[in-house]
Amino acid sequence: MSVSRDEVLRIAELAELDVDEETLPALAEQMSRIIDYVAQLSAVPANGGVKMFVPGPDAIRFRADEVNPAPLAFGPAEFAPAFKEGFFVVPKLGQFE
Amino acid sequence: MSDAKAVADRLAKVKRLNALLTPLKDLRKSLAAQSAAARPTGVLYGMPVVAKDNICTLEFTTSCGSRILEGYRSPYDATAIAKLKAAGAVIAGKTNCDEFAMGSSTEHSAYGRVLHPLDKTRVPGGSSGGSAALVGAGAVPAALGSETGGSVRQPASFCGVVGIKPTYGRVSRYGLVAFGSSLDQIGVFGRSVHDAARVLSVISGRDPRDATCEDRDPLRLPTVPESLQGFVVGLPREYFPPELDPAVRRACERAIRLMKEQGAAVREVSLPHTAYAVPTYYVIAPAEASSNLARFDGVRYGPRFNGSADVRALYRSTRGQGFGPEVRRRILVGTYVLSSGYYDAYYRRAQQMRALIAQDFRNVFDRGVDLLFTPTTPTPAFKAGEKLGDPIAMYLSDIFTVTANLAGLPAMSIPIGRVKGLPIGGQFIGQAFLEDEMLEAAYALERVVPAEDEA
Amino acid sequence: MTWETVIGLETHVQLRTRSKMFCGCSTAFGAPPNTQVCPVCLGLPGALPVPNGAAIGLAVRAALALGCTVHPRSIFARKNYFYPDLPKGYQISQFDQPLATNGTLSFLSAERGVVNATIVRLHIEEDAGKSIHDRFAKATAVDLNRSGVPLIEIVGGPDLRSPAEARAYLQTLKQLLEYIGISDCDMEKGSLRVDANVSIRRAGETALNTRTEVKNINAFSFVEKALSVEHDRQIALVESGGTVTQQTMLYDAKENTVRPQRSKEESHDYRYFPEPDLPPLILTPEFVAEQQSELPELPAAKRDRFMASYALSREHATVVTSSRAVAEYYESVVRAGAEAQAAANWVMTEALADAKDHQEQLRVTPDALAKIVALVKGGTLSNQAAKKVFTEVAAKGGDPRTIAESLGLIQVADANVIEGWVTDVMADHPSEVERYKKGETKLMPFFVGQLMRKSKGKADPKLAQRVLEAKLSV
Repeated sequence: MSVSRDEVLRIAELAELDVDEETLPALAEQMSRIIDYVAQLSAVPANGGVKMFVPGPDAIRFRADEVNPAPLAFGPAEFAPAFKEGFFVVPKLGQFE
Repeated sequence: MSDAKAVADRLAKVKRLNALLTPLKDLRKSLAAQSAAARPTGVLYGMPVVAKDNICTLEFTTSCGSRILEGYRSPYDATAIAKLKAAGAVIAGKTNCDEFAMGSSTEHSAYGRVLHPLDKTRVPGGSSGGSAALVGAGAVPAALGSETGGSVRQPASFCGVVGIKPTYGRVSRYGLVAFGSSLDQIGVFGRSVHDAARVLSVISGRDPRDATCEDRDPLRLPTVPESLQGFVVGLPREYFPPELDPAVRRACERAIRLMKEQGAAVREVSLPHTAYAVPTYYVIAPAEASSNLARFDGVRYGPRFNGSADVRALYRSTRGQGFGPEVRRRILVGTYVLSSGYYDAYYRRAQQMRALIAQDFRNVFDRGVDLLFTPTTPTPAFKAGEKLGDPIAMYLSDIFTVTANLAGLPAMSIPIGRVKGLPIGGQFIGQAFLEDEMLEAAYALERVVPAEDEA
Repeated sequence: MTWETVIGLETHVQLRTRSKMFCGCSTAFGAPPNTQVCPVCLGLPGALPVPNGAAIGLAVRAALALGCTVHPRSIFARKNYFYPDLPKGYQISQFDQPLATNGTLSFLSAERGVVNATIVRLHIEEDAGKSIHDRFAKATAVDLNRSGVPLIEIVGGPDLRSPAEARAYLQTLKQLLEYIGISDCDMEKGSLRVDANVSIRRAGETALNTRTEVKNINAFSFVEKALSVEHDRQIALVESGGTVTQQTMLYDAKENTVRPQRSKEESHDYRYFPEPDLPPLILTPEFVAEQQSELPELPAAKRDRFMASYALSREHATVVTSSRAVAEYYESVVRAGAEAQAAANWVMTEALADAKDHQEQLRVTPDALAKIVALVKGGTLSNQAAKKVFTEVAAKGGDPRTIAESLGLIQVADANVIEGWVTDVMADHPSEVERYKKGETKLMPFFVGQLMRKSKGKADPKLAQRVLEAKLSV
């Protein structure tokens, strides 16, 4: 299997996603299937010469440096799950510093 | 001029489709208010338009078909929504969709699947299944959906309606909850080419809030052409493989014949890298999605799924429980292909392939072809549950649609016939920013094709 | 065993713009929390970034001032990681195609003389919000006012050889950026932040050993201390048989120690990829030329010019060009007629001392200071008297001569009057006169002092001394 259980757990940690033990084997299998499927791209020789294709405008258009905030019909106090004294509140960082 | 009550009643009548996420009570109240406020001089005055639930609206909620945004009310309107309102339209509710637009059947919604308007055992397609079903059922004249890999055209084909994906950069993405940023566009469903095109015209045009939206005037609608004289229509052989469903093939051949009768020149062409389109898409889209969905962490909006000892536990439980299995899979795949050690083999390689796919189209269009015509989907609507066992099986239903998203080109599906009573769509793929030529061809075909007839 | 320290600094500088990097919210400091926010900098679903042209211009100016190669085409990239004050779960930054590379910052090292430190790269990115850990018990408060403020990151090569050099490099960089006016560069306010990469090696080695990253250096005065503490730690570790592991060390100013960051992640996988919401950043030659033309004379050039034009020593020229405001002030004083050296002395002492106590304001106008200098030069005021006049003019303004007169400070340079005082002093101190005439010429300062007292400080001391010498040698 190209994506092992351990690898799934490592990736899940990077993506901050809980993966429970029960679904882990099925998930590893599905991910392997998908990664194997997309790996057929490597059959095509690496073409360094081809220019990257980026849809959309060719260059950034500069915005003027004016205070002109995008509208908010209501502020964070209305939509935040936890808001106190003007701040978003999250549980303590624990392992973070 | 629509009657707010009549609109709500029509939507109530098709409640069983589970296409509308907005409770009817809320809808009635809002419609009354919106109708009163609508600008009578607007070109879409009174037109009820439903919007896919991944498009931000001040009215109703924007949950993207997910639990992680359950009950979320957006504090701003998407630019496309603002433009619709400025044109006098009313937003007649939010429609059910695959969670975060990830899916091809609308079976991956946290709010239950949507039923096909003609056959409740079948899917309406996805991810914009709710929007397609409501237009297909005649409940609304037009709907907004979104496209990343075919999520407007494929359900349009399944439900027997018109579905248009504009050129990338034609319509602002401000307010469209991002899935695959370099692929996403808001698209339009309509009962007819004209209905869909009118709405597309209103929502298109420059937007200073979206750096990827081109600095162009809104799309000018073409008139219905008298014939297709002078049009060169290419038929890419890779889209008509030997194993193509015979009924689908017959429907396409009939449509091609009708276009020839209208004066179009038809030519076989080749887009040699087509076979790599789906794997390319399934590297790039999940990669961008894994990053776009990182903001859903329970910190600033949406529900929290755990009281939580520390913030990492908050992230993991919110995201682990708030996202459904398809979204989780794609986030993991996307994270994987961007991660150190895999970036070159997957993401960089897929970007190179994308460039080759885009080049295929340029080569064909540079040789005098104006548009391409293909089947929209390999089959008509499949049965619910049929493709849930294997993610790849689901992905392959996008086989004819992903290329236009990868190349940033405009594309649309119009109904061209029935297969055992189920609608099937024919697809036009046009040149960048030449939607008007694509629409002309669609008008001409629509006028003569017997869309309700068996192929 | 002699150890060599190898240090490279990474500085983050907030650009002085009115609005944020990717949205139109205000960047003003000190607003109530979460009031300068919008869908974009809150990371709301569906929001998109739109780049600030002025920020790009300021970044280009910084790159030009550092002698970097400015790339006409650069790409924004996403740096993906999770943190409560990073609303999108990624930071828009630049990765493998940055705005500028390959510059130089020349600074003066006490140990080695002029050092040309390399600037490896300079790129544009957005700031994160602020996490406050001590406001609520068991919870962190997050303020997103700062989220999206424009930053440039300046990465210096491993060219510094001591904590003192790091300080000097940073001081020079700060001065340069202040000169070109792109930032307040205030470490207390957070508009200038520095992280350091530190490693050690045996003197004479050329290869680089494992380095640690030192963070949380929150004030200028902590730079040298933090780096000394870290290099001491590494030396002690290696000398006792251990090896330096790559980790992030946080500086604790209270204890003057460093400790490892507790995070489990040894190395971050940021999964950089080009930002799909932004087209490439293309700089036209006209745009770059415009930024070049907006650059003022840079500190080193100004210092050299002052040395040449005003015959100042390198040391004096350095002090007088320490900031652009002071340099321009000094030059205005000279252009108003003051003699160059004298003007330098006054600026270095009185003007700067006064400014320190008055929010860096140079309160005496260049014209007024030039007049004061002239009054001293012309013998009308003694140095001491002039200082009093300076203080008065600084506080209340006005014409220096008028003020000197009203304060009765005008020096007496009338030889007759002085002769009168000399006569009195000699009469008051006959034994000292006797001793002086017998050869104790070292008593002259005593006589001058007495005369200054008798004249209540008004005598021109130089003239007084000449008259005394004349009279006492008779």
